[in-house]
Amino acid sequence: MIPGDKSKASANPTKAFFVRMITRDITLEDCIFDLIDNSIDGAWELAGGRPMSLADDTDLSAYKISIEIKPDRFSIHDNCGGISLDDAANYAFTFGRKDDAETENFSIGVYGIGMKRAVFKIGSKIGIKSTFTDNGGLMSFRVPVDVNAWLAAGDGNWDFDIEGADNLAAPGVQIDVTDLNEAAAQSFESPRFIQDLRRAIARDYALHLHRGLTIEVEGKSINGWAIELRQGGEFSPMRASFEENIEGEKVYVEVLAGMEAIPPEDSDPDGDWDEDQNRSGWYVVCNGRIVLAADKTTLTGWGTESWPIWHPQYTGFMGLIIFSSRRADLLPLTTTKRSVDATSQLYRRYRPNMREPSKAWIAYTNARRQRERDEVVGQEQEAKSVPIYEVAAQPAVVLPQVATKKRVPEANVLYSVPKPRLLKLATAMGNIRMPYKEVGLQSFEYAYADLVGED
Amino acid sequence: MASFDSINYSLRPSKSVQRGIVFHGLKALSDAMALQNSLYIGFGSIWFTDFVMAHKALEIDEMISIEANDVGFRRAEFNKVYRSISVVEGRSEDKLPELLNQGEYQARPWIVWLDYDGALDEEKVEEMRWLLLNAPPNSIVLFTFSATQNAYGKPAQRPGRVADILGPVVPDELSREDCNQENLPQTLASLTMDFLSSVVADNARPGGFIRSFKIPYFDSVGMVTVGGVLPALGTAPAARAVIADHKWQGIVDEMIQAPPMTLKEVATLQAELPCLEDLTRARVQELGFDLLEHQIRSFQRYYKYLPNFAEIVS
Ligand SMILES: Nc1ncnc2c1ncn2[C@@H]1O[C@H](COP(=O)(O)OP(=O)(O)OP(=O)(O)O)[C@@H](O)[C@H]1O
Ligand SMILES: C[S@@+](CC[C@H](N)C(=O)[O-])C[C@H]1O[C@@H](n2cnc3c(N)ncnc32)[C@H](O)[C@@H]1O
Ligand SMILES: [Mg+2]
Repeated sequence: MIPGDKSKASANPTKAFFVRMITRDITLEDCIFDLIDNSIDGAWELAGGRPMSLADDTDLSAYKISIEIKPDRFSIHDNCGGISLDDAANYAFTFGRKDDAETENFSIGVYGIGMKRAVFKIGSKIGIKSTFTDNGGLMSFRVPVDVNAWLAAGDGNWDFDIEGADNLAAPGVQIDVTDLNEAAAQSFESPRFIQDLRRAIARDYALHLHRGLTIEVEGKSINGWAIELRQGGEFSPMRASFEENIEGEKVYVEVLAGMEAIPPEDSDPDGDWDEDQNRSGWYVVCNGRIVLAADKTTLTGWGTESWPIWHPQYTGFMGLIIFSSRRADLLPLTTTKRSVDATSQLYRRYRPNMREPSKAWIAYTNARRQRERDEVVGQEQEAKSVPIYEVAAQPAVVLPQVATKKRVPEANVLYSVPKPRLLKLATAMGNIRMPYKEVGLQSFEYAYADLVGED
Repeated sequence: MASFDSINYSLRPSKSVQRGIVFHGLKALSDAMALQNSLYIGFGSIWFTDFVMAHKALEIDEMISIEANDVGFRRAEFNKVYRSISVVEGRSEDKLPELLNQGEYQARPWIVWLDYDGALDEEKVEEMRWLLLNAPPNSIVLFTFSATQNAYGKPAQRPGRVADILGPVVPDELSREDCNQENLPQTLASLTMDFLSSVVADNARPGGFIRSFKIPYFDSVGMVTVGGVLPALGTAPAARAVIADHKWQGIVDEMIQAPPMTLKEVATLQAELPCLEDLTRARVQELGFDLLEHQIRSFQRYYKYLPNFAEIVS
């Protein structure tokens, strides 16, 4: 017999779980992105809340998100409409979205945890201020959170106080965090962190920045990545659209794939072309946000189901799969918005659509190795970069038909020299950043002309 | 050709100013952080100018000079100005780790000034990284290198080359203009400083890095000195207070271009100083000669640090 007082296993959450534990599973950068996502959700709703397809032309140029990062302070400020008092009182601050919560249309936010987890990760003195329109006038409030006092108050009362506040310049939200946690303070002192943050914003919010949204870090606004695929000659990217119906709700899917850059000549991992390789791979977009970028892992298929693992030889390939739905919970987002939920049925169902263009590219790069270099490069150079928004619909990626020809056998020359000497030679050849392979070839031609003369 | 064959470092006016600022600052830091027991490590060459100042201004006895050049090493041994200087033959990237392995040196703060020959490159950056992560608590590190534009490639390649050397701290939008002859020293100074801060922050070194010296200067070529403090946890506030003081001169915003001047010119201008207003070009002309505006500014700001001019005119 189970005694009466032991008939229930206690399962209440603790505050510490939210402050100290789930903050471990997300990077600082992704926490800042959670706050940006919230601002963007506000802006997207105000701008009409339509499906975030590539063809959609919603104008976001009225909206601005400013981030300040100091060694002792973090703040983010937007003019994206703010949180209403009702929303603040009823659900914006709850941990986990209530089932009956009204979701914004086509939002990035879905789980009801992002903002809280983000500020807890950053520091322990938090001020969240909102100005919103109420019956035509402006109204404001602020929610101060002293994390240590809140923790010390025990797990009985979870609520935060809402206080009156002055209006911000425009309806929007301002979040300030001081008393930074040590790791955050250290990152904020690193110029490398801030430059990489800028780069990641330029990439992951490229679709929003393209629509005119302003995101500023330390007063400097960020230019989004121009995402482009090459088209022309015998190359043509694929662009296909699909529609799904899940639980009575529509989910829109677009797949684009093709050549993003001319593949490298040289697949030596110590080579000097990693930069291009960084852009290659698959991108997964959920309601406009790039959640997985330049992926070369099993998540996007590489190395699964007879699909080879990524190899530098495949550099130059880019694919995008773009999901959007009024209900973000139907999309394969993870709570950190930094990956895809590989168990998602929807995502698994579209993997074959990603597999086809990847395989076509793999076959092409294998075949191109068997052909004359000049001919291949000439063909590839006919294809010009086109913004993804302008790529024409096409069910499958088109790549040159490769008929393997007989060619002169080749000898590979491989040697190492001290890098300072190579740089000196490259400089003398006119370009201190000349690829090593090019320096080698030019040296060979030079010696050949000198010692052998005419062929 | 080794650099000591071409110049006596003590005779370059801007370099002297730079050295003056550095030792003035080191003195303040050393007092605040109680660094009298520290070890001075540098490239003394055959002149040991910085070693003399370390001994006199900072009262450091034990000093180590590293010299890679074999003739230079023999000459350094011959010329070393104090008994307590040890000259070590070899390259710093080999010798610094060896010094760290000696228990007696590991336990004391280091004041290290790597006054390099030549431009910034991947090797120097690697050495900086090593030193930032391995120098004992309460160390101060300084690096000097040339910012002469041609060592960083042609104008179109320079921003990329700088990014190759310093990595992700370099903003993607670094422009050709940022890297032209006039701006390159300031650009390299700022970005190298960013690099130093990032290495320490990204690797969570306890105590952090305090940006202390950022000095672009120009004699016949652009040069850059950057450096900072690697305080022990407890000493960080005292060190930060020194740098935060408005009297701190280690962060220089305008390139130092002290003009080579004759003894007579120096004496004439010095008689006008100190004065609160800016010395004007009109006034210099009134005094009977002429200098460019920026030269006058450098002179007024830094005349106390100028070398003994008798040596220059001789
Ligand atoms: N800058 C903002 N502008 C407008 N509303 C905001 C802003 N920041 C937060 N909110 C409101 O607060 C709510 C809670 O945000 P939070 O990030 O915690 O969860 P979420 O966005 O709903 O879901 P997720 O955990 O997936 O991010 C949001 O749904 C939104 O209504
Ligand atoms: C610029 S001089 C030093 C000048 C001196 N600090 C002064 O202020 O008078 C540099 C000296 O260090 C030596 N040197 C440069 N790089 C070195 C390295 N990595 N290891 C050892 N010695 C080096 C050079 O041979 C040269 O003698
Ligand atoms: Mg959110």
